[in-house]
Amino acid sequence: MATLTLEQVSYVYNPRTPFAVEALDDVSLTVRDGRVTGIIGHTGSGKSTLVQLLNGLEKPSSGRILLDGEDIWARPKEMKKIRHRVGLVMQYPEYQLFEETVRADIAFGPRNMGLSEEEIAVRIDEAAAFVGLELSLLDKSPFDLSGGEKRRAAVAGVMAMRPEVLVLDEPAAGLDPRGRDTILQGIRRYADATGSTVVIVSHSMEDMAAYCDDIIVMAHAKVYLSGTRDEVFAHADALASVGLDVPQITKLAQLLRARGVELPQGIYTVQAALEALRPLFQ
Amino acid sequence: MKTIAFGQYYPVQSPIHRLDARIKIILAILFIVCTFLCKNILCFAALIVAALFLIFMSRLPLGTVLRSIRPLIFIMIFTAVLNLFWTTGETPLFEWWRIRIYEEGIYSAVFMVVRIIVLVLGTGLFLTYTTTPIALTDGIESLLSPLRVIRVPVHEFAMMMTIALRFIPTLSEETGKIMNAQKARGVDFSEGGLIRRAKALVPILIPLFVSSFRRADELAMAMECRCYRGGKGRTRMTVPHLHARDFVALVVMVAFGAGILYLNRLGIGYSVP
Repeated sequence: MATLTLEQVSYVYNPRTPFAVEALDDVSLTVRDGRVTGIIGHTGSGKSTLVQLLNGLEKPSSGRILLDGEDIWARPKEMKKIRHRVGLVMQYPEYQLFEETVRADIAFGPRNMGLSEEEIAVRIDEAAAFVGLELSLLDKSPFDLSGGEKRRAAVAGVMAMRPEVLVLDEPAAGLDPRGRDTILQGIRRYADATGSTVVIVSHSMEDMAAYCDDIIVMAHAKVYLSGTRDEVFAHADALASVGLDVPQITKLAQLLRARGVELPQGIYTVQAALEALRPLFQ
Repeated sequence: MKTIAFGQYYPVQSPIHRLDARIKIILAILFIVCTFLCKNILCFAALIVAALFLIFMSRLPLGTVLRSIRPLIFIMIFTAVLNLFWTTGETPLFEWWRIRIYEEGIYSAVFMVVRIIVLVLGTGLFLTYTTTPIALTDGIESLLSPLRVIRVPVHEFAMMMTIALRFIPTLSEETGKIMNAQKARGVDFSEGGLIRRAKALVPILIPLFVSSFRRADELAMAMECRCYRGGKGRTRMTVPHLHARDFVALVVMVAFGAGILYLNRLGIGYSVP
């Protein structure tokens, strides 16, 4: 529904002081319409800064950020509208929960948009379904939920705003494997059902490989690699040189292929490997 | 690392940065006393020179230092106006309706403003800008340690201060994060009347309180795990030593105070009571 483009964006923290840190250096990239894009990089590679630029929480030191070709800083007074169009889920979003019930918390964003109560009710149910929150949880206090449930409630709070671009900063950080899969599947479900553009920031190659269409690799405040999942993972050596790795199952598939086992390119999940290998044993 | 990590501390190398924290606390107190000893125009001139000398010695950018006065502008204007209109003297310079302004009023208004500026600059330059909060609380603990004799829990106070200081940047960072998160959900903190703005704070304060309690709990647990049992028998990682420069600084400050007292007795121009 919307395309985000960054044109030569730089961002410096604490400019002109001894604490100046260049977080983004001349970054140009495009997040394609209707696709799930993963932004991956190590701590300090500038991912989290990038995320806060996308919905205008921070202003780039130089360069432009375009939403459907329009500079988001063209009319700073209407930034609120931009924030309705680009939904951002920050790192550890469960710490932003504050309402008495989960339902009220999910309603907070839509209510700020000035939607009708009927519309809000519809959106709460829809968002809860995307992230897999049981309806019985909606009337509990958000502080009584488990860690994973809190996280999902917080993500639902932004999904309920139905942003054209949904940006999530480390949505799976600190969750157990099952919690991680639940949340990432929920995000994928949202993307597929609504056709929204989704940006996921992460440092886990395995997650990115399993859930993203496009991948942008950040290193040292710059875009290091970008392209579709297949294109990026074809550069295994380049990834290794910035301390990232292709998923283990992909490596295994490559080793098997090198030994003459006939496997297709682009195996990123255990499930995909299973399906590719099964015919060989039958 | 968005905000300066520890309060106002400005990490450069300077003679003032190198002084012992305890000495700097004493110097700051003496300097405050000096500002209050000042009575006439010569004293205040000496005080301004001393403040400029301190800025120079601390190697801080002038802009940074002057910015620390900005929050006090209202108080300064307020005291200046009070002194200007309520100080009475011999003959009024200006009279209109019930307002009379005397020469003495102008003097005491100017003196008061200079006093406030120098007071803030002095304490900032000796303490917050040039001393890390940790060194500062260690210094306070060390200076107050004689009170232990009368069973004042000095170490506990110092530890509480250290913890409070330690969490200022953490909490301010946390506040920023939560504000951003709620802004992303469409809250606008700069629009609407007073009540709407106050209401907009609820989504910030509740998460902030919740996380503060969680942090306090975690910290207490971590301290217990490392067998923290208060100050008794606890040794320090860095034991501060006094150097020759510390004594030199102390002597210079005492000499400055004596100079102020001498200038007061010269009795030149208007002298504030």
